[in-house]
Amino acid sequence: MFRLLIKRLALTIPTFVALMFVTFMMLRLVPGDPIEARRGERGITPERHAQMLHDMGLDQPVWKQFADYVYGILHGDFGTSIVSKSPVIHEFFTLFPATVELTFCAMLFAIAIGIPTGVYAAVRRGKFFDQSMMVTALAGYSMPIFWWGLILILFMSNTLHLTPVSGRVDLIKHFYPQPTGFLLVDSILSGQKGAFTDVLRHLILPTIVLGTVPLGAIARMTRSSMLEVLDEDYVRTAKAKGLSPFRTINVHALRNALIPVVTSIGLQMGSLLAGAFLTETIFSWPGIGHWLVQSIGRRDYPVLQGGIMLVAIVVMLLNVVLDLTSGLINPRLRHER
Amino acid sequence: MKTKITMAALLMAGTMFVASGAMAKTLVYCSEGSPENFTPAMNTTGTSLDAARPVFDKLVEFTPGTTQTQPGLSEKTDVSADGLTLTFHLRKGVKFHSGVNGFTPTRDFNADDVLWSFARQSDKTNPWNKVSGGSFDYFSDMGMPDLIDSLTKSDDMTVVMKLKQPNAPILANLAMDFASIQSAEYADFLMKKGTPEQFDQIPVGTGPFSFVDYQKDAVIRFKANPDWFGGKPKVDDLVFAITPDASARYAKLQAGECQVMIAPNPADLPAMMKDDKVNLIQQAGLNIGYLAMNSQKPPFDKPEVRMAIAMAIDRGAILKEVYQGAGQQAKNPIPPTMWSYDKDAKDIPYDPAAAKTALEKAGVKDLQTDLWWMPVQRPYNPNAKRMAEMMQADLEKVGIHAKLVSYEWGEYRKRLQAGEYQMGLLGWTGDNGDPDNFLAVLLGCGKDGKPNGQNIPKWCDAKFQEDVNKAVTLTDQAERTKLYVDAQKIVDAKVPWLNIAHSTVFEPISKKVSGYKASPLGAHEFQNVDVAE
Repeated sequence: MFRLLIKRLALTIPTFVALMFVTFMMLRLVPGDPIEARRGERGITPERHAQMLHDMGLDQPVWKQFADYVYGILHGDFGTSIVSKSPVIHEFFTLFPATVELTFCAMLFAIAIGIPTGVYAAVRRGKFFDQSMMVTALAGYSMPIFWWGLILILFMSNTLHLTPVSGRVDLIKHFYPQPTGFLLVDSILSGQKGAFTDVLRHLILPTIVLGTVPLGAIARMTRSSMLEVLDEDYVRTAKAKGLSPFRTINVHALRNALIPVVTSIGLQMGSLLAGAFLTETIFSWPGIGHWLVQSIGRRDYPVLQGGIMLVAIVVMLLNVVLDLTSGLINPRLRHER
Repeated sequence: MKTKITMAALLMAGTMFVASGAMAKTLVYCSEGSPENFTPAMNTTGTSLDAARPVFDKLVEFTPGTTQTQPGLSEKTDVSADGLTLTFHLRKGVKFHSGVNGFTPTRDFNADDVLWSFARQSDKTNPWNKVSGGSFDYFSDMGMPDLIDSLTKSDDMTVVMKLKQPNAPILANLAMDFASIQSAEYADFLMKKGTPEQFDQIPVGTGPFSFVDYQKDAVIRFKANPDWFGGKPKVDDLVFAITPDASARYAKLQAGECQVMIAPNPADLPAMMKDDKVNLIQQAGLNIGYLAMNSQKPPFDKPEVRMAIAMAIDRGAILKEVYQGAGQQAKNPIPPTMWSYDKDAKDIPYDPAAAKTALEKAGVKDLQTDLWWMPVQRPYNPNAKRMAEMMQADLEKVGIHAKLVSYEWGEYRKRLQAGEYQMGLLGWTGDNGDPDNFLAVLLGCGKDGKPNGQNIPKWCDAKFQEDVNKAVTLTDQAERTKLYVDAQKIVDAKVPWLNIAHSTVFEPISKKVSGYKASPLGAHEFQNVDVAE
């Protein structure tokens, strides 16, 4: 297991280096610069433009800018936002809890519904439930997030008045310190009556929207995997021995079927973070997705470079954890040479 | 930047906010983005200026809903006969906000604060000039460094500004956000604390609302200042709910989660007009969208060619399709809401046959040209690409073959300014309600006879320049009006650009809101706003 961990960590290093290079170069290839982006119709004199570029260090040769950038990252300095003048890492950790909370809830939603749905669909193979669930899963997997989000707002918030429209909290009724940034925790710590319920209500729609695509993928993957496993000899043996269907399916079959599902969940993490960018915009969720999208228009290079690297680190670490989880589930992976 | 407010302070503020919220009135404004910081002098975007504005006052203010100025922190302003000296008699007893970020002012607002606020922007050696990046764009853009000769105080409540030349729009400039007055004492307090960077993140001013808290990308909170010289605002708490998506903003307005919103989706406007919970305020924008023709490139150096092109383009169809009725056709380079607008001007007719004849007479046949369009939506042009396509089709009918060109927005602006184009779309939104801000800025030339940086058509006319140069030095508005009317007639005759449209700005507000006035300058102000329970 330790060898597996070392091997996986070692593989992240070249990935990290390549990502640093690609992120940096892609940003430099995009036309425009932070000064031009701010000016709009007002324009700027070439002299003043040159002075401002110099002040930001953007008139340095590209190789020097890259070297400074790498040096900074290796020393834990992810840069300072051109717009807010705040350290990127500070802004990242201010906003990251909101994204973690949302993606965690979305993944929990997707797993909690996707796996049982996939299992049941496999067990009821060919029946109405199987077919309808798989069509629904495909639809969920295919629909655009921004459309789904706006439809839910229209229906659930504006028509049925069941959920708030957007944001993390009722801005009028609840105002309290957020020491952790995880409002599910902070609302409890605040002691304010109704604060926790309010946070939960605000989480409903964005969780459903963000969790829909991975739910579809997990349900379909679980079903396929279960169908393979249910045809295995040891499952037939378990049935023949008189084990209950519940035990046969959930203890013997599901554990083996979960191996590819866990891998799929890992792959979904990357797309969850990508989906979070859109979801955060629609639901005014103050996470890193919206922060990065805003920075693109502003050409805030340090935020984009540093922010993307930090997101990449998170995704890479998550994949390491998932690989280790796979190793726990599948002993063969722990011992492979 | 995460504001380092102690937990106790935040908890107290929150308790006060919520406790007051139980009985208090809260106005929620759905804004479209996050501010860069809370110092108006360092910002140019409407988003950032809106976020800082509740906290500050200026020496003079725009009367809400207009571009007229009225006394602000300067109770009375005297202008000398030669227009070179302005004397500001400051309002007594104005208090800076107390308790914000641990700061308690020991004195009232006085001349030192005015001097400090301008010195920070003008003096490159000032220790605060470089704090938080040191970029004071509007101060430079409005020509203040070339205009202000000195700024001194004759006593604690009197400030004297000497100008290098008379400048009529100076009072309008001083009503702009960049001229907000900040606290010199708060600056000292933070410098001694070793946290000068907090000055631009946790603002202290004299304005109708004091800053409470900013949760990055989520919400900005203010509370009413009971000591404001204009009287305590009618609402107790003001909240900016940062809501980037326009459809989500409308959904929040409908659900009552906010009462005022910015920038509706054009597609939502018909529904808003029918919505019985929404009051859709319409305001003629202080803007102009235009098609510039590069006067330095033949055949666009000939006024008759430019006039012919103007006649070839069907602006009525553009109004319908691109603006979808949210605008009016422009016949002058300044909008109709601006004083000195020449209402007797005759608009250029749409007449492709006459255009073709005029082009032939000018010796222009089978002209190949480019036509640049902006890749972004602007207040004065909702869809430049579609507009360019329509213009291309119109020009084809008169024998002009236009190739559509575009670049990334910053690059587009840079190349347009460099004169790399032949025909190009752009526009302008006014800063201070003064005609000089349009005519001199957008069509003016320097003493060297070369076009100003913002003069995209690269057009210079001696008589026009004489008119605008003289008008800016006069204080009598009637005299200025005569000159600006003449200037407009010259522009209308010489057609450096085709005036396309002035767009209409829409501001949806809840019907529970009263007292809100839409600003022609695009500002969102809440000091006079009330909300019914």
